[in-house]
Amino acid sequence: MPDNWGFVAAAYGLTAAVLLLYWRRLVRKEKELTAIGKRTRHGHNQPPSDSAPSVAERSHQPSRAAHPRLDPDTKSSLPTNPTSRAPQS
Amino acid sequence: MVRALGWLSAVALALGLVMAFGVAPRESTQGNVQRIMYVHPPLAWVAYLAFGVVAVASIVYLARRRAGADRLAHASAEVGVVFTGLAIATGSIWGKPTWGTWWTWDARLTSVAILFVMYLGYLLLRGTIEDGERAARYCAVLGIIAALDMPLVHFSVYWWRTLHQPPSLMKPGGFSGSATILWPLLVNLAAFTVLYAYLVAKRARLLRAETEALA
Amino acid sequence: MSYARRAFVVAWKDLLVERRSKETLNALLFFALLLLFVFQFALGPDRERLAGVLPGVLWLGFILSGLLALGRTFLVEREHDCWEGLLLAPGDKSAIYVGKLAGNLALMAVVETLVLGLFVIFFDIDLARAFPGLPVVVALGTIGLAAVGTLFAAMTAHIRAREVLFPVLLLPVQVPVLLGTVKATEALLLGESLASVAHWIKLLAAADVVYIVAGLLLFDVILEG
Repeated sequence: MPDNWGFVAAAYGLTAAVLLLYWRRLVRKEKELTAIGKRTRHGHNQPPSDSAPSVAERSHQPSRAAHPRLDPDTKSSLPTNPTSRAPQS
Repeated sequence: MVRALGWLSAVALALGLVMAFGVAPRESTQGNVQRIMYVHPPLAWVAYLAFGVVAVASIVYLARRRAGADRLAHASAEVGVVFTGLAIATGSIWGKPTWGTWWTWDARLTSVAILFVMYLGYLLLRGTIEDGERAARYCAVLGIIAALDMPLVHFSVYWWRTLHQPPSLMKPGGFSGSATILWPLLVNLAAFTVLYAYLVAKRARLLRAETEALA
Repeated sequence: MSYARRAFVVAWKDLLVERRSKETLNALLFFALLLLFVFQFALGPDRERLAGVLPGVLWLGFILSGLLALGRTFLVEREHDCWEGLLLAPGDKSAIYVGKLAGNLALMAVVETLVLGLFVIFFDIDLARAFPGLPVVVALGTIGLAAVGTLFAAMTAHIRAREVLFPVLLLPVQVPVLLGTVKATEALLLGESLASVAHWIKLLAAADVVYIVAGLLLFDVILEG
């Protein structure tokens, strides 16, 4: 049976390349964000909202992905029903 | 802590690589192509693990509404889709010289492909909803439904391929149980799992930083 | 108001709206007819080939019609600004889910009956021997489709890309239903008994239970806002 080293190399190479690229992307984004953090801490007259959108614009889609910023107990003003399953009919 | 994970995964992966080529023997029936089986099953295992984490984190989020759980779910979904894609690709690369074709609708490949599509759907939903709290809730619902669905997908695809149909495919890389084949596999399994944990931790931390930066 | 009554009210309102406007039903029926033409043209006139792919094509027809029908579940609420009304509804909101699900099932039943009828005419199927089993399979499959479809319809109601996202999210989840129904229908159309596909029936039933329970529990979460 032929050894097909080409396929082996392709499989290992692809795995390594993709994982490495993904890791590098994470590292790079983290560096960007810490840089902004430093800038806003040192420049008080510069409101953070100025730098954040420009980073968001430069980076790719996922960084704009939304997340709940606040932990529980801070809900919107719309009066919602209690989420507890109190028996009512 | 995250850093330690990073170093650990680098070391483990290096060890796994050495074992896959240095310790593991050249397989008798398939030749050296079988060495792909030291990365493909670990990748597939992580793909399922990541999905499980998405499901559990989703449940925790809905129960406790902790933002951390939502970030974990998102991070695991993103890392998961990478591993799943790689699992499919490596499986396909292995399949070409072994089965003669790049793709076949065998039970395992099909299941992983469906898993991949579900991940993509999750990430798509994430990307489409702007409101943070709503995105978290809706994705949690999707994550739970998809996870509940996976066992059903498994059975249905397996029956679809094996019942009333003679097995036309060679059994993929079964190992005889000898230590020189088992250990490289296990080491790589562990290595990829640690790598997964590291990448998820990093991604989740990044998500938190992003959220705070936009606040 | 009791839970059952609230569910009934939702279903009844939807059916009344539909009966008066007939917009969804008419469009769906016409769509089903067009599908038949499209399938025929795509598959060619060869009888043998058609017989082989018939179960799959039938369920493709059901699913495509279902995607259209289910995707519109919350259209009325969305377009007429009644979504907040749903959010503010008192009590357990899963009653709304049940009502919407019931309405969808009724709608699907009408469409599927028509599709099946058209298939019998155009593709000359012998339905008689499939009969005690076929309605069971169709019912189980439709319940599965509608149970998740209704939930996802609520989820995608306010998303701009809902026409694309709804099928994209629904179809992978429905793979077990699709496989089960097609395999079972295939066997039944060949004249085999329902017992011979018992494992598929059990899978479909299990799927339906899982989907409905999940829908009941998670619908409230969607309607939080």
